[in-house]
Amino acid sequence: MATILTVDDTASMRQMISFTLNSVGHEVLQASDGREALNILQNKKVDLVITDVNMPNMDGITFVKSLRELNDYKFTPILMLTTESQDTKRQQGKVAGATGWIVKPFNPEQLLTVVKKVLG
Amino acid sequence: MPRWWLWAMGGLFATWLWAVPFVPWWVALGSGLCAMLTLTVLAFYARQHSNQDDISAVLPPSEDESQEVFEQVDALMSHSKDIEHIPQVEEVLESMAQDNQRRRLDDLMRRWVDVAQRYSEAALVLRREIYSVIKQTEQAANTIASSFEAVINKATIQARQAMELLEGTQGATSDDGTPQSLKDFIQVSDERLNKMADEVVRVADLSVNMVRELDGVQTRTQAIDGFLLDVEKLADQTSLLALNADIEAARVGEHGRGFSVVAQEVRRLSQRSHEFSDRIRQHLKEVRSGLSRTYGNMRTLSAADMEHALTIKEDVISLTRSLEGKNREVAETVSRINEISKEIAQDVRNVVISLQFHDITSQKLSGMLEPMDELRRTLYHLMQETVSLDKNLLKNLPKNERWLSRLQEETLPAPEIEPPKEPARKESTPEPPRLREATDNGPAVELF
Repeated sequence: MATILTVDDTASMRQMISFTLNSVGHEVLQASDGREALNILQNKKVDLVITDVNMPNMDGITFVKSLRELNDYKFTPILMLTTESQDTKRQQGKVAGATGWIVKPFNPEQLLTVVKKVLG
Repeated sequence: MPRWWLWAMGGLFATWLWAVPFVPWWVALGSGLCAMLTLTVLAFYARQHSNQDDISAVLPPSEDESQEVFEQVDALMSHSKDIEHIPQVEEVLESMAQDNQRRRLDDLMRRWVDVAQRYSEAALVLRREIYSVIKQTEQAANTIASSFEAVINKATIQARQAMELLEGTQGATSDDGTPQSLKDFIQVSDERLNKMADEVVRVADLSVNMVRELDGVQTRTQAIDGFLLDVEKLADQTSLLALNADIEAARVGEHGRGFSVVAQEVRRLSQRSHEFSDRIRQHLKEVRSGLSRTYGNMRTLSAADMEHALTIKEDVISLTRSLEGKNREVAETVSRINEISKEIAQDVRNVVISLQFHDITSQKLSGMLEPMDELRRTLYHLMQETVSLDKNLLKNLPKNERWLSRLQEETLPAPEIEPPKEPARKESTPEPPRLREATDNGPAVELF
């Protein structure tokens, strides 16, 4: 099973994502914003990142750009999980290097399917 | 002023009284009616004039007071030489109109500032309340999420253990053949008990066969008895023959002495043959007696064995049926637990979706603050400009410094509360647990 990092400033969202992914045996790490996520990723290699877009300190788009600049994470799948659904935001995410875009609220089965797909 | 109508009324009444004794009764009646009519008219007139007199009593000025006013005006006019320029009436009217306009503007400005003050205070209260609501709902959502996770984890463990326990009754045997499940236990017990019952039945059959064999043996012992009688007859004849031989030998004399010895030996053999036959009969009798007892025992034993074996077999069948019923109940329970697990999985999915709406509503509430804060910011700059233009404008407003500082508070974040996040989306929020499959601007899930 994979190691997955979830980044969201809302604790209950992180709990729901962890709960869903833990149920199929994935190891889940949590961060409350982009900056904290980058600190975690310096010490630990993960297989997948699921991040919110609008967060304090460092937003999701900036976080994805920063992550893609790291050699270890050039090809790691990154899913954006956000309330944002506008095409402009999607395009920003795509340009920044995100692998996929999921609009909140997520369906647990749907999330697991997408995670399985991007993990190969 | 003299109240003449009262005098007129009195005179008229007196005249009528004076005339009554001197005129005919019908003249007195007619004049009396006319006098009453006149008196009514005069009384109505008198009442009206009485009200006018009350009003006129409070109205100045009297002639004396007017005289005083004229004297004051004359005194003022005597100082008119001190005034250099007396404005024209048009100029005075224009100046008064401008003053009036300015006062109205000032009044409007004060009212406008007052409204701004009220708005700023209300907006601050609203802002704090919204943050408070966001914070409280966040705490509640976190608590619910943690409790939910704990409950689900415990329910999962409970269900798994129950399934392990129940599936154990349906599992396989161990390597040494010992049954590991109720199903296998039933099967093995059934097999072994049936085997034992069959063995008992077989033993009973063998007993019956042995009884039959014993019958044959007894018949044969009776035949031996017959044979022994024949042997005894032969011995008797031999003995008689030996006696005859001995008589014949005695008659011959000396020459028959040898023959006599042989005859005696033959007789002795015949006697021994008798003795031998008696002993065989005696043994045969004991054998027959033993066989008879054995025969009786074997019959009893074979009948009891058969009855017992049949009872055991029936008990085994009954026990097996009962265990099979229990096993079916266990299988049904396992099936029900599986169905409940599927329902729980569906409920879990719904709860996971529903708990995310806290995040969405919080962001919507935070988004509501954006335009409000923008308006407060604009208001603050506008008021700063206004106050710098006219310091006296806010002189009469209470707490004017405080409300201005309150307008400034919008630059500070609310205490211990996160700053507002992303603005709210335009589309309406679906009711949980229904999940929106696609938004107005694209699919719910998209892989680039």
